[in-house]
Amino acid sequence: MLSLGTVPAWAVLGQYESSVSVDQQYLRSEDRVQAFQAYKVHQLTTASGTIVREYISPQGLVFGVTWQGPFMPNMQQLLGSYVTNLQTASPAQTHVRHLRGLTVKTNDFVFVNGGHMRFWKGSAYVPSLFPSNVSAEVVR
Amino acid sequence: MTLRNDSKATLGCFLALVTGLIFLGGCGGSSSSSSSTSTPAANNTAAVTVGFGPLGAAGGIVNGIYTSVTVCAPGTSNCETVDNVLLDTGSAGLRILNSALTTVPASSLGTIKDSSGDQLQECVQYGDTSYSWGPILVADVELAGEKASSVPIQVIGDNSFAVPSQCLATPVNPNLPNGGNEDTLATLGANGILGVGAFGYPLDCGSYCTSSSYLTQSGYPYYVCPAGQACSGTTVPYNLPSTSSNPDYQVTNPVAMFSSADNNGVLVTLPSIPALGAANGTVSGSLVFGIGTQTDNALASSATVYALDEYGNIPAFTYNGVSYTSPTNFSVLDTGAGALLFLDANTLASSGISECADAPGFYCPTSTVPFTVTVSGAINTSGTGTMTFNIMNADTLFNTNNAAFNDLGGDSGTSPASDFFDCGLPFFFGRSVYIGMMPGVFTGETAAPSGASSTYGYYAF
Repeated sequence: MLSLGTVPAWAVLGQYESSVSVDQQYLRSEDRVQAFQAYKVHQLTTASGTIVREYISPQGLVFGVTWQGPFMPNMQQLLGSYVTNLQTASPAQTHVRHLRGLTVKTNDFVFVNGGHMRFWKGSAYVPSLFPSNVSAEVVR
Repeated sequence: MTLRNDSKATLGCFLALVTGLIFLGGCGGSSSSSSSTSTPAANNTAAVTVGFGPLGAAGGIVNGIYTSVTVCAPGTSNCETVDNVLLDTGSAGLRILNSALTTVPASSLGTIKDSSGDQLQECVQYGDTSYSWGPILVADVELAGEKASSVPIQVIGDNSFAVPSQCLATPVNPNLPNGGNEDTLATLGANGILGVGAFGYPLDCGSYCTSSSYLTQSGYPYYVCPAGQACSGTTVPYNLPSTSSNPDYQVTNPVAMFSSADNNGVLVTLPSIPALGAANGTVSGSLVFGIGTQTDNALASSATVYALDEYGNIPAFTYNGVSYTSPTNFSVLDTGAGALLFLDANTLASSGISECADAPGFYCPTSTVPFTVTVSGAINTSGTGTMTFNIMNADTLFNTNNAAFNDLGGDSGTSPASDFFDCGLPFFFGRSVYIGMMPGVFTGETAAPSGASSTYGYYAF
């Protein structure tokens, strides 16, 4: 069985698609792939019912992730190096909804989390990694 | 590092109330004696006040709604009334700051331990990446004239153990005070949280915490912390009604454990206030326990009833021709949110909404914008109903130095893909809002009144 101590802090957001398989192993999840014209989506479902979607550009890079489930996922795992953007955002780039939700908007990183007990959802994406002609609206 | 231990993975089999249990039979309020006895109707109305809360204007909180909760050492008349507890229809269960318990200290409450003598702990996460950490203790809880015996509550900030990294796998945003730790009055802005949300069942974790398969998931809430080892996730059973032979161990909405029939939901009533708001200390209302159980809590015939979905959300709402559907775009009625957190400024630009330049996330329209949102899930009308509210310039509102506003708005996400509607306290002014729990699932819970039958709980207003 894998535990926090034995899995390296694999990046997903901003990394190549191959990191998805590591993520899948970590999340102990099932993988379903949907292909669209300009991108594809890996949907991973964990044992607890948390659904993680990872959006892959034609270049093979993960440009967005979403999550929804009873517990908040491991953001270090999902956001990879972009977790730094979450940890260094300035007050002007951050909207804290006390106890309720968080939005971080920087030029190259957008993060939203919210929900309530037993139902958390959110998304993160990197605008500069979006395929051409694909809007941020696809990351949902 | 071992995160699993077989003896802990089945903690539920060995859990025992170390104190409190032996008093259960004699305390007279045992929930097993609930609906079949004909006792005089309990005083089912608690006062609520709206304002800055215990931190005052300097705390930066507006639209806080607070009530008082009496906490008693189980089976005794040793009780303490804690004021300034946040009334929260957006969570389940009672959480009290350790520092707010003085004459009835945490050490006088019942404990829950596993067979190794390790005490049950909880790390509860909030949506803004903050968290509270502390043991689950057992108390008798009184609200107005209502009593609930042997209620598992979280006493936050009463803990010498380090917060499990598993709980904090989501890094805390640096703009949250105290590293996101909500274990003090200064950060929480309240002496506790009274969670009376509908959300299907009145538990904070429910079946997700009864199976060992979730124990190592990020964000898992319940832990034991054996000496010299890291805290590890543990399963925690729930039992409603809670009895001396089958006690409840998960943090539970005390309303669902009332010995009276007023245990099927709450009614929140707040007065109308002016568009520019009301001063601190001038707005009071009522928190009525039970729906359709006494003359003062009948479901109004004019109320539209909305059945919640399996996630505890309003199934869908429509604004400006766009449909927002749960679970992608959820919506809830949430007294714990101080503003109408509705969609985002870009999406609402055509309605005249723009973001405040000096208050990120809040809405600063040049003139007040009226909204009508179509809501689905209505079960006593043709299937839809409407929510109406106004959003006024937040800068104008804040400049009044008032503490209660019915028209304060802010964003929920960044685009329709991530948006939702966390319908906060402003919506509750001038209304009676019913928060109905899942009827009939737990033996002893009073059924919903006619016309409000729903599988996962309901709202009515």
